Amino acid sequence: MPKSSPAQRLDQAIEAMLGSSGAAPPADAEFQELVRIATALRELPRPEFKRNLKADLDRRARMATATVSFIREGFHTVTPYLIVQGAAEVLEFARQAFGAQEIFRFKLPDGNIGHAEFRVGDSMVEIADGNQQHPPIPATIHLKVKDVDAVYERALQAGGVSLYPPTDQDYGERDGGVQDPGGNHWYIGSPRGETHFLPDQRSVTPSLHIAGAAQCIEFLKQAFRAEEVMRHQTPDGIVHHAKLRIGDSVLEIGEAHGKFPAMPANLHLYVPDADAAYRQALAAGAASEREPRDEPYGDHIAGVRDRFGNIWWIATHIKNVQF
Amino acid sequence: MKAQRKDADERLLVEAAQADPARFADLYEEHFERVYAFIAGRVRNRQEAEDLTSQVFQQALENLRRFEWRGVPFSAWLLRIAANAMADRWQQVSREQGDPPPEPPDEAAAEDIERRTLLYQLVDTLPADQRRVVVARFVEQKSISDIARELGRTQGAVKQLQFRALESLRAQARPRPKQDAPGGRRAHA
Repeated sequence: MPKSSPAQRLDQAIEAMLGSSGAAPPADAEFQELVRIATALRELPRPEFKRNLKADLDRRARMATATVSFIREGFHTVTPYLIVQGAAEVLEFARQAFGAQEIFRFKLPDGNIGHAEFRVGDSMVEIADGNQQHPPIPATIHLKVKDVDAVYERALQAGGVSLYPPTDQDYGERDGGVQDPGGNHWYIGSPRGETHFLPDQRSVTPSLHIAGAAQCIEFLKQAFRAEEVMRHQTPDGIVHHAKLRIGDSVLEIGEAHGKFPAMPANLHLYVPDADAAYRQALAAGAASEREPRDEPYGDHIAGVRDRFGNIWWIATHIKNVQF
Repeated sequence: MKAQRKDADERLLVEAAQADPARFADLYEEHFERVYAFIAGRVRNRQEAEDLTSQVFQQALENLRRFEWRGVPFSAWLLRIAANAMADRWQQVSREQGDPPPEPPDEAAAEDIERRTLLYQLVDTLPADQRRVVVARFVEQKSISDIARELGRTQGAVKQLQFRALESLRAQARPRPKQDAPGGRRAHA
């Protein structure tokens, strides 16, 4: 029988050491020191851990000295991100109907829009064509305008479908509803008399119709420190309409019912510390869509999906990038 | 003279990072293995060791400006943060599980930390194929046959790489003079 090589005999000793839960079993005298080293190597730090921690510290260091705001210039804390089928059509609709100003468009080789941004009044909206990974998720937006009737008419001429004509509502608003070519609902409204509009409410307010609105409000308080500023609900706790403030933005939320089906949203949320907010969202019951990572467009960004179907892209802006 | 030079170099690194936190990466590279070795030798599992190590460096970065250079090595300050983080963790766990608190590190433990620190640093200097085998075999605890398949090598070749890596580590690992450990001189933070 051929004598085994030192490398083979050492491996046998290592195999025995790795198989033992406690101290390494005695090895041949010639290998004792090597097995002792091998035993210590069981606690060798993982190279990717060392690398990832370095990247994390580097990002924190850059944030500590950064002169950039954690919110990208031109944006606010919460921005609706529309994922639709036919993003180009929706962009054209928004331009014609609402005078939207296109800021940026990134076209994919297949002609679809990978990402685009447009401004309506004082607010930004982001949009992309859906794909297998991110299927379309039609959203509801409350749009504050001066002349509801004129904007409603333009929206219909631009290819929108009426949800309801402009009406004076008893909650202090004249509003009309239009569905755009991507299936998003736009509630075009203007304050009237004693109104529910908050003084700092911008042109665009994401409006979430949710199955379980009251629970969703609790989630948003826990996950993103949302502050409840208004709530109208039935005696048995069904939320008709509530307004929450997250950072510098307002969010509306109401229980889905009848002609207002559940329409959770896809939202871009800027926070000072995306890692912390991501962990907090998970602790509040959200599921991870994507762990935090740096993106070339200057955001450190993570994704979560709450149990009401909303997707939150939690970001900290870390550097300004010229497109 | 050599120790004085090392102190002066370290002081420069610390002051550079205090002026510009982006330079903290240099201190991290210098001390990562020591902090990890200190923690890994005293906690139950890898996940806990990684969580605590992350916590130590994050706290060090946040509080770097509070570190005052009074002739105490920066590593002592880091290990003090690590010792406090572990004590907090144990306090929390013992409230839940009634575990006894850890023994304070003695001299033998401090020497062991230095041995492990050196060993971990030396692994980085191994040729790439030997380093890959060491990580796969001891960190990921993979079998020789799995590693051979991944690397497209024979099992005999993988055993040879393992043998050469350990021989090389043995040849290079010489205990360093003992450095400050927590419980020794206090850092003024």
